Amino acid sequence: MFPENGGPRKVHLIASILCGNVCICNTGVCVSGKTELLYHFLCRCILPQAAGGLETDVMFVDTDYSLDMLRLVGILDSRLNRDEAALYSCLSRLLVVHCSSTSHLLLTLHFLETSLASRPSLSFLLIDSISAFYWPDRCEGGASIAKQEEKLGKCSDLLGRLLRDYRITVFATCHAIRSCRPSSAAASTESDRPYLCRPWQRLVTHRLLCSQQEVADNMTVAVGQQVFTVHCTSSFSTRTKAYRSNSFYVLDGGVTFI
Amino acid sequence: MVVLREGMCPGLDENVVRDLRAADIKTVEDLVSSDIEELALKCSLSYKTLFAIRRVLLAQHAAFPVSGADLYEELLSSTAILSTGNPSLDKLLDSGLYTGEITELSGGPGSGKSQVCFGVAVHVSYHLKQSVIYIDTTGGLTASRLLQMLQTETSNTEEQMEALQRIHIFRLFDVFSLLDCLYSLRSGRLQQASVGGGSVKAVIVDSVSAVISPVLGGKQNEGMSLMIQVAGALKTMAKDFNVAVLVTNHVTRSDNGEVRPGLGVSWSHIPRTRVLLERVEGAGSVSCSSFRSATLIKSSRQVLPMALILMPSAVLIPSEEFC
Repeated sequence: MFPENGGPRKVHLIASILCGNVCICNTGVCVSGKTELLYHFLCRCILPQAAGGLETDVMFVDTDYSLDMLRLVGILDSRLNRDEAALYSCLSRLLVVHCSSTSHLLLTLHFLETSLASRPSLSFLLIDSISAFYWPDRCEGGASIAKQEEKLGKCSDLLGRLLRDYRITVFATCHAIRSCRPSSAAASTESDRPYLCRPWQRLVTHRLLCSQQEVADNMTVAVGQQVFTVHCTSSFSTRTKAYRSNSFYVLDGGVTFI
Repeated sequence: MVVLREGMCPGLDENVVRDLRAADIKTVEDLVSSDIEELALKCSLSYKTLFAIRRVLLAQHAAFPVSGADLYEELLSSTAILSTGNPSLDKLLDSGLYTGEITELSGGPGSGKSQVCFGVAVHVSYHLKQSVIYIDTTGGLTASRLLQMLQTETSNTEEQMEALQRIHIFRLFDVFSLLDCLYSLRSGRLQQASVGGGSVKAVIVDSVSAVISPVLGGKQNEGMSLMIQVAGALKTMAKDFNVAVLVTNHVTRSDNGEVRPGLGVSWSHIPRTRVLLERVEGAGSVSCSSFRSATLIKSSRQVLPMALILMPSAVLIPSEEFC
């Protein structure tokens, strides 16, 4: 998903995503470019190999009713030079499900398990967003934290099994729930702190954090163009961690890395 | 959470339900997440029966995957873009309000939020000949103002009355009544409102923050949960019935004095498009005090932040152009 000429580390991430068993969690506040990054990843998966894609099937779990099909088609269109037949074949590789609660998500993931067995080309699972039912779950669980986190915990356990058994890749977005104050570093780390349950946090192998960036003078972007930064923290099974960050801006054709 | 009951699916009879209860399997989620082999041993039920029950329950209760191509096809045939009746605002919103989406107007008192809402209601009912649901939570809507706006469009009384009849008004003042209203609209009232001319194309909630902000705050989660429920109800209504949802929000000031929409970070992910309305202060002459600026602060279609535009206080007189 990162630029091809991005050096050895980035190649490493692409390679590990292709191997599967990767869970990426993409966090950010409103207008931080995280949805664009999700669509970039989605397009990369469903585009034909001739257009630089992976040509695989993708399941998009829409818990927010947020899938912007017009935007997605806009990006695909510009990558495919407005070839309508190719567009439809791309879109047919995308499966969309809508979930309305964490219980519904759990049942759908169980259902997905049966589809994964019968559809080997399905190797990517996108969840937008995993935090959609955070508040309703907190409220339903009453005073007990264990009860509040029970359902998402079950989903995470199941996802862990799917990751292991079917070697799929999960890309989930997670909305920030606290506002970030760029002025003080301490407050900013507070707002970035993961708040979803522990089983989910253990599942995540790559944590992306999107934010809006001040445009510096030496950047080659158009005037008035917003620039976003994505920080990636990867943890590997060997307990090593890797950090890196990339800047990008958004055009009609989607994300462009600087 | 769905509780297991007899007769939910073939094979799930009284005895099976009782045996499962004894094994602490009470809901569909419990049954689906448990190991069927173990369960069969524990309740001394047939593995085959349990496996079949699990399969049917999953098919009944899981969300069904739809192909992206079908979804796009459906979207192309059903999406409409409703003009707000205001060329500059339309330009800001990339030609108007999109059905299936939530658009938010935020601004302080007197920034023209309600006036824009009235303008949209009148434009949709008079020019587009479609019905509008107007949920008024502040008591700010008056029929005489709508009529006044219609009078600038046409002098034909009959047409004015027809347009007014297409605007359905709900007055409610707390979040529970709002949820009640949204759920009843979803379960059939929306179609009823369509009787007597065009189908409902726009749902306006003015203002959504007036009913949500009183339940927020403190260390309790109920308020947040209610807010997400309102958001969910609005989103499903927008998608399932293909209506454009327009909500208004108040504003707060951040620590560095910057004006931003209210209801906090969790709400900020809900609307697809957000517009900030502000009164333009001290522009010199008296007439300029009626100017408003509109800034696009969230959009997936336009490059942000979109340039400021000014409008005369009457969005007020909808026929009049922005300047």
